[in-house]
Amino acid sequence: MRIVIIGNGVAGMEAALTIRERDAKAKISIVSEESDHFFSRTALMWVASGQLSHQCIEPLERDVYPRMGFERVRARALGVDIEAQTVELAGGRPALPYDRLLIACGSRPRPGPWPGTELDGVGHFVTLQDLEWFEAELHGGPGKKGRPQNPDAHLEASSQNSPYLPRKVLRAQRNGRPPAHPAVVGGGLIGIEAVEVLAAAGIETHFFIREPWFWPIALDDRESGFVTRRMQDHGVKVHLSENIERLDGTTSVEHIHTDRGQYPADLVVVAIGVMPNTDWLESSAIKRDAAGGLVVDQGLECSAQNVFAAGDCASVRWWNGAHRPEQLWYTARDQGRLAARRMLGDQVSYQRGVLYNSAKLMDLEYTTVGLVNMNIEGEQNWYFEERGRVSSTTRITVAEGRVIGFNFLGRRWEHTVLTRWIEERRALPWVLEHLGQACFDTELTPPLQISQAEKDAPLFGPAPSVMKETTRAPLA
Amino acid sequence: MDQQGQNGLLRTFRESWRNRGPIGLVTSGGLISFYLLLYFTDRIDPIAASLGFRSKWLFYGFVYCLLMIAGAAYYLSKHGNSRYNRVRIATNVGVQVALAFTLPLVMPMFGQPEFYFSYVWPLDWYKLHPQTLQAVPVYLAVYSLGTALLAAPLLAYFFGKRWYCSWVCGCGGLANTFGDPWRHLTSNSTRSWRFEKFFVHAVMFVAVISTFLLFLVHFVNEPSSAFHTYVAGDQWWSMKRLYGAVVGSILAGVVGTGLYPIFGPRVWCRNFCPMAAMLGLFQKLGRFRIAVKPNMCISCGNCTTYCEMGIDVRSYAQSNQSFTRAACVGCGMCAHMCPRGVLKLENAPRLQPEKRRQGLPIVDL
Ligand SMILES: Cc1cc2nc3c(=O)[nH]c(=O)nc-3n(C[C@H](O)[C@H](O)[C@H](O)COP(=O)(O)OP(=O)(O)OC[C@H]3O[C@@H](n4cnc5c(N)ncnc54)[C@H](O)[C@@H]3O)c2cc1C
Ligand code: SF4
Repeated sequence: MRIVIIGNGVAGMEAALTIRERDAKAKISIVSEESDHFFSRTALMWVASGQLSHQCIEPLERDVYPRMGFERVRARALGVDIEAQTVELAGGRPALPYDRLLIACGSRPRPGPWPGTELDGVGHFVTLQDLEWFEAELHGGPGKKGRPQNPDAHLEASSQNSPYLPRKVLRAQRNGRPPAHPAVVGGGLIGIEAVEVLAAAGIETHFFIREPWFWPIALDDRESGFVTRRMQDHGVKVHLSENIERLDGTTSVEHIHTDRGQYPADLVVVAIGVMPNTDWLESSAIKRDAAGGLVVDQGLECSAQNVFAAGDCASVRWWNGAHRPEQLWYTARDQGRLAARRMLGDQVSYQRGVLYNSAKLMDLEYTTVGLVNMNIEGEQNWYFEERGRVSSTTRITVAEGRVIGFNFLGRRWEHTVLTRWIEERRALPWVLEHLGQACFDTELTPPLQISQAEKDAPLFGPAPSVMKETTRAPLA
Repeated sequence: MDQQGQNGLLRTFRESWRNRGPIGLVTSGGLISFYLLLYFTDRIDPIAASLGFRSKWLFYGFVYCLLMIAGAAYYLSKHGNSRYNRVRIATNVGVQVALAFTLPLVMPMFGQPEFYFSYVWPLDWYKLHPQTLQAVPVYLAVYSLGTALLAAPLLAYFFGKRWYCSWVCGCGGLANTFGDPWRHLTSNSTRSWRFEKFFVHAVMFVAVISTFLLFLVHFVNEPSSAFHTYVAGDQWWSMKRLYGAVVGSILAGVVGTGLYPIFGPRVWCRNFCPMAAMLGLFQKLGRFRIAVKPNMCISCGNCTTYCEMGIDVRSYAQSNQSFTRAACVGCGMCAHMCPRGVLKLENAPRLQPEKRRQGLPIVDL
């Protein structure tokens, strides 16, 4: 069997390994424009700051392609001919025939909708090339240790609109100095990661957030205030409810104009989200949704036969029935594995259990499990803020008398235990009584203590949500 | 404040002295020269004497404590936000200053031998020599035997070898303080792991067999016999002298510490220390493990990079495997560095090992 996988991100690589585990003989070609090696996109910020090297973020040793018998194709795919079952490649490379095709081409950054984003010094923080740009601006160049050998090998077989093209660096223009007035736009996870890198380099950074508080999709206003104070402690200038109107400059960016004023800016990171990286499939006969996500069924199969999709580019069915991509590391990995099994003929289907995620917001660890900030019908919230030797917040969402979600900052939690409690439809008093069992704090961390009065504190109504319509909580 | 987890981003790979840059290499050269002078010449004696130390070893002990204290200050400035790190480093430095410097300094003033309580056989290979056991007062002989043969393995069974390697041992203490800036230099390749497994167990084997032979010649053989000369004689090529020179001086001192800035701070502990190897076996059978929170790892590599023993922690984390590796000294830095709180050191009854995914570069021990 001839298998072609587009993308060596987590979805593509997991699929390739899963197939190889079962089928020692299949011919597996992995097309990746961005890089020779599979790397962890989630770890870009640590390379940017110098905490990790380029090689540190590669989860597999570099000889995995030859060892596993994968063929590496470092080129941009330009389309899929679903009749001939071939993938067209850029740079005049011969088309690749397939028996089964997996598209795992991930996300690309959403461009800023304002005038001036084409100026030099305006960039994103999503691809390896973005990382190298960011590193060069901050430190003068990429880290020496462990950088892959052929970072630019794809340029012979790429195209104009690729998100993986190298970016112009302004550092020389600034006499070799790092930016003095960087700005980050977009109050989400990638935005705060870019902010943290700049703050750690000791540069005063302006952080522009359109919403009234940071990351409203996941945090309520109090939790968010907790995080914002941490950012301010590190010297970040946080601008809430402020809209960008335009960027200006002659060839490179000089100012950022908002509905509140004008600020000098010599580097702008636009982090207003990502979108499915599927524009190269525009003229291929594979169905995409309005946002560009590849529409897949429960078996992750696309509208075309023998074509599958996994990871950030696949538009899957959500718990509330909507179809959209899940842009997460864990889901990309699971989807990659599942798609691989489907390609091998297993009758398995993709089902996401109770939602969970974790993140680190500056130095505050964040864990969420279940339905939080989802505007669930009749939802109420219990909230506790710990301000002792440990600072933490705990929020538990309740609907119809049972716990449906958890949101934590500042401590570590075992999400599998919390998931079980949600599935067991536990009530709030029981959960509060047993909360210690779900604790995953480092040894010797003082335990979380909640007094009876605090446990009995009144619940407050629905948490502010970006979801406009209320939804009924699904039965577990 | 007791905040767990890495606090503020590090610049590790952007600091040349921590990445085999000129200062790192000069530091390594300096350390190697110092150890050569200390172990193989008399050059250090006059310096020690002029500073009022009874012997060069006490002077060395003093310098050792200073390096550990300075290194502890560096370490705590980066990682002291977590209580586990603070308590561990404070204990380790405290043990060194009290048991490996102050007590040996003052014991002779009370008519006792200069005895190092925190060094245990087989790391302190001389502790169980028949002559040593006979030379010290009975309570110390009992202490030497009891710690080496009973307490150390039992504690390793229940708490992992960390109780010794990361809380008590001087070598580990220096590695985790003065050596901390270079912890990311430890190789985590499969090749380095093969090297480690062979050599660390080989040295352990030699340490045990040689101790046995020393007992044998002591109680059985005529002192004038050739066998006695080979095993316990005073010529440089006798087994006793060779072990001391090769393992005690070259591997533990010159290589083990001298190469901190090149191969990371645990070269000795990982590849050669017989104590670490032995406790590792008890750890492997025992209750210590690193618990992995399933499906939460983002494969970032912070844990693997900052593991000073070269364990590819990420390979376990991303395949949802709680694990016990013989090498792990339980310093806790993987759990500390993990930005998603995936890892946790714990002492718990053993779980059934889950089936490991095949084909991935994960190998056991
Ligand atoms: C800065 C940052 C931080 C993040 N942090 C987290 C986090 O903490 N937790 C979390 O769950 N998620 C996080 N994410 C999201 C997570 O990284 C993604 O969900 C995940 O990487 C998606 O993997 P994937 O395999 O679908 O695609 P990707 O990793 O995006 O891989 C896409 C692959 O497709 C290839 N490709 C694309 N188009 C073409 C083409 N036309 N031709 C040839 N090859 C092509 C590329 O070369 C690349 O190899 C983060 C993302 C970013 C950018
Ligand atoms: S266990 Fe933690 S530190 Fe290690 S790779 Fe996974 S997320 Fe990163």
